[in-house]
Amino acid sequence: MNTIAAQDVEISVPKMTARDVNVFYGQKQAVNKVSIDVEMDNVTALIGPSGCGKSTFLRTLNRMNDTVPGARVEGKIVLDGEDIYSSQMDVVQLRGRVGMVFQKPNPFPKSIYDNIAYGPRIHGLTKSKGELDNIVEESLRAAGLWEEVKDRLKESGTALSGGQQQRLCIGRAIAVHPEVVLMDEPCSALDPIATARIEELIHELRGRYAIVIVTHNMQQAARVSQRTAFFHMGNLIEYGVTSDIFTNPREQQTRDYITGRFG
Amino acid sequence: MSRSLSQRTPTDWSSPEQVRQRGRRNLGERMFALAGMLAVIAAMACLILLLGSMLYKGIGGIDLKFLTGSDATDAAEAGIWGAAKGSLLTMAVTLGLSFPVGVLTALYLEEYAPKNRWTDIIEVSINNLAAVPSIIFGLLGLAVFLNFMHLPRSAPLVGGITLALMTFPVIVIAGRNAIKAVPPSIRDAALGIGASPVQVVFHHVLPLALPGILTGTIIGMARALGETAPLLMIGMRAFIPTPPNGILDSATVLPVQIFLWSDEIDTAFIERTSAAIIVLLVILLGMNGIAIYLRNRLEKRW
Repeated sequence: MNTIAAQDVEISVPKMTARDVNVFYGQKQAVNKVSIDVEMDNVTALIGPSGCGKSTFLRTLNRMNDTVPGARVEGKIVLDGEDIYSSQMDVVQLRGRVGMVFQKPNPFPKSIYDNIAYGPRIHGLTKSKGELDNIVEESLRAAGLWEEVKDRLKESGTALSGGQQQRLCIGRAIAVHPEVVLMDEPCSALDPIATARIEELIHELRGRYAIVIVTHNMQQAARVSQRTAFFHMGNLIEYGVTSDIFTNPREQQTRDYITGRFG
Repeated sequence: MSRSLSQRTPTDWSSPEQVRQRGRRNLGERMFALAGMLAVIAAMACLILLLGSMLYKGIGGIDLKFLTGSDATDAAEAGIWGAAKGSLLTMAVTLGLSFPVGVLTALYLEEYAPKNRWTDIIEVSINNLAAVPSIIFGLLGLAVFLNFMHLPRSAPLVGGITLALMTFPVIVIAGRNAIKAVPPSIRDAALGIGASPVQVVFHHVLPLALPGILTGTIIGMARALGETAPLLMIGMRAFIPTPPNGILDSATVLPVQIFLWSDEIDTAFIERTSAAIIVLLVILLGMNGIAIYLRNRLEKRW
């Protein structure tokens, strides 16, 4: 297992920037004035106790909160210079550019092939069957699943094991060639071996996509990320280089959390 | 005064009190199973009695002439095809109207409509619509479609529209339940890779909800097929000696034909009535069979 990731930090131009983001569910404020940069070459981890707003914040980055009744987002989130909450932004296209992997593996009840091919099909990314076949193979290889499923692409995606399903979901997300991949606790429903597999995959995908991962597992954040944001009660307590956060946090609350004193 | 758990005397499972307790419980178990079985037997006995007496009285009346003929004043000449064709045309109109409108309504209410007071009112109205006695729909058909819109009397078109009004809420309710049962994670997955709301609905939600929607639709259609009262109100009880050729011709339907024959003085019509009931039941069983087949065939697990 590669655990040196925390050290090899690189300077990089922000892919996405969030400035003073507030999120409300009705009257309740779930996220309070959060500002973060998501960098292309670094994996950003969002950590914090349950209900701290980390998942909510993640879902503002591809506007998945739009589907929640009563949710309201304030502040500015920019993707490559474009305000994603402006009226010119096409939400559907945005979600093609900023893909998402969910907490529970949620493959479509379709074949493995169709799970991967669905995104490229609806976005019209291919002109021929051969091209689509290539994308499917490429995506499954990138998701580290090709060798396991290449002989049974017609079988249902839901027949795979939990870890394989989650890798299928990652393959499905990268099949549309997104620029950013959001992962919402992608390993919380998986066993340690499947988790290790996903973490390896995150290392491999780093640099090709800007990756933001929400996790409640601090060791995981330390293993996979180069940037860490610590959330507590909707506030961003601390954001910085992962190794600094874990070895030398500036805030007392961060120190208490990572040493396991609460949360 | 509380004693700690360790100070409690251990339970004596073979004490007389415990034995009595077990006996009571086991008796209760047996009584419940017995009561359930008696209920099943009572229901099945009624059904078998009904089917048996119909078959006994009517099976002799079913021959090619009966199946291909139409109503006649002479019992020996009377056949069921005219009424069956009327039923088919009426059902076609009912299905053609209530299915698309019902499914669209269900999809809109579940996937698009904001949850507010208006949608609550609409939901309650649709639920109430499903509980309205069918004769009321007949009166509505008479007042609106015949007297106001001047559509042809006794026609499958008007019968079909009237029955569609009855079937519509059944399809909406079944459809909404089926749509609700589609896990939200599937919608998230599709939205998350950039599917538009319409694509989410037509590529994922609708295919997954379809078995449930179809089951509800066929149950609604089976109910409409057996409906008599509203069709009497709009004149589908006429004497129709030739099968209708289209949805604008005068026609009658199977249950109304059964009702009309059961009213005849000539005892020869008793056999006709029973035979017609057999035909109606066979069609209903066939429809339920199709519902079960479709449900098993299309059902996907996730």
